[in-house]
Amino acid sequence: MKCEEAQEFITALVDNQVSDEERSLIESHLKDCQRCRFTHGQEQALKREISAAGARLHAPAALRSKILSDRRIFPAPERASESWTERIFPAWPIPRPALGLALAVVLILPILYFMRTPSEPISLAALEIQKKIIGGEVSVQKASHPDELRNWQIRAVNGEFAPVAYDLSSMNVQPVGGVVQEVNGRKMLVTVYAGNGLSVTCFTFIGTEEDAPKIASVFIDPEKKMKFYSFSKDGFNAVLHREGSIICILVSNMSGDELLAMVRAKVQPS
Amino acid sequence: MTRALTRDEFSREAIGYIDHLYRVAVHLVKETQEAEDLVQETYARAFGSYEQFAAGSNLKAWLTRILYNFFFDNYHQKKRWVSVENSSAENDVSDYWEKVPADNPGPESHILLKELSATISDALSRIPEEFRLPIVLVDMGDFSYLEAAEILSCPVGTIRSRLSRGRKLLYYQLSDYVTTKEKKREKI
Repeated sequence: MKCEEAQEFITALVDNQVSDEERSLIESHLKDCQRCRFTHGQEQALKREISAAGARLHAPAALRSKILSDRRIFPAPERASESWTERIFPAWPIPRPALGLALAVVLILPILYFMRTPSEPISLAALEIQKKIIGGEVSVQKASHPDELRNWQIRAVNGEFAPVAYDLSSMNVQPVGGVVQEVNGRKMLVTVYAGNGLSVTCFTFIGTEEDAPKIASVFIDPEKKMKFYSFSKDGFNAVLHREGSIICILVSNMSGDELLAMVRAKVQPS
Repeated sequence: MTRALTRDEFSREAIGYIDHLYRVAVHLVKETQEAEDLVQETYARAFGSYEQFAAGSNLKAWLTRILYNFFFDNYHQKKRWVSVENSSAENDVSDYWEKVPADNPGPESHILLKELSATISDALSRIPEEFRLPIVLVDMGDFSYLEAAEILSCPVGTIRSRLSRGRKLLYYQLSDYVTTKEKKREKI
């Protein structure tokens, strides 16, 4: 094989796009040709640099927001209150606002009173933990492998429950570490995901949807038949949802809308 | 059989590729505002025809093809794949061969290449589009030759030959940068 003939095969070898026969031919040529070996090394290095330069290039946050608020792409999420209103009053002849108000006073307010959380909800404590992780007050155990981290967390709660796991690889976001925390006697598995300039922390614990804070906006996904509670505090955005008896809270530096969109996309009904 | 994605699932899944689409867009058009418009319009078009997307197939490639087709229809004045046999780019590749040293170049050459990563996007913008796009798709987008060929509607062999020439052109551009940088250092 002549050097000029070898060039395209060198490129394909760098990209791992050669057949076995082609690989054998080109590797044989490289063994004997110092100049082509240099070209091969240089092309490998160049490919790595191009790939690294690409990985550093992110869509501007303003573009994300623009797309997420483009109603041609993302129709407005259905608010829980509107959905319940329509379900409760399908076609009643009585004026709806007056009846709704009366029912709220008679039924909902007493229920809310008895269901109120006596102290700071665990969900807001999760945001405090997030703040401490970022501030270095809470140390996170680094993960050499996601399975290793997961098994360690399961052992830490005597196998009572497992951390909810998310595949965020399409966003180049991977689990990088974790920690186990205790809030008011309840154990909480904390998994930190990072990559691509994004940080997502997943808090898993046994609970109910009553663990959502009062400040949360509730979104109902009619197809998944799930509720998502979106809330923010001290600059952190969070989304809580329930999977059976497990509560998962995702906290991120993404915008509230973006985080809600991601959680809704990734979560499967239990 | 894979279940078809709902409109909502499709949109949420598709937004995960925004960085990738933006990378491709900024290497297709000159202005960042145009690149943003291109990405937004890609999502709008993808959403409008999401029912045509076959569940289980490659969503990233499907979105990239929409982006490229929209770019071609709206921003591009030339033929989809122009012949480069007589173009100046061909001569540039020939020049490259004179620059490849026959002897072992030593490690400093690789070190310099590492310093160049910040200038790669700039260098890419200076090589012809027909060489630039396969590099962006294969090296930045991690597409196989077959996927890149489907996106650009050209034969797989064309992707391979243009990648080979394109990388040499890019290296040639970066070599110029190294030479300039070294001359500046000498003056200092």
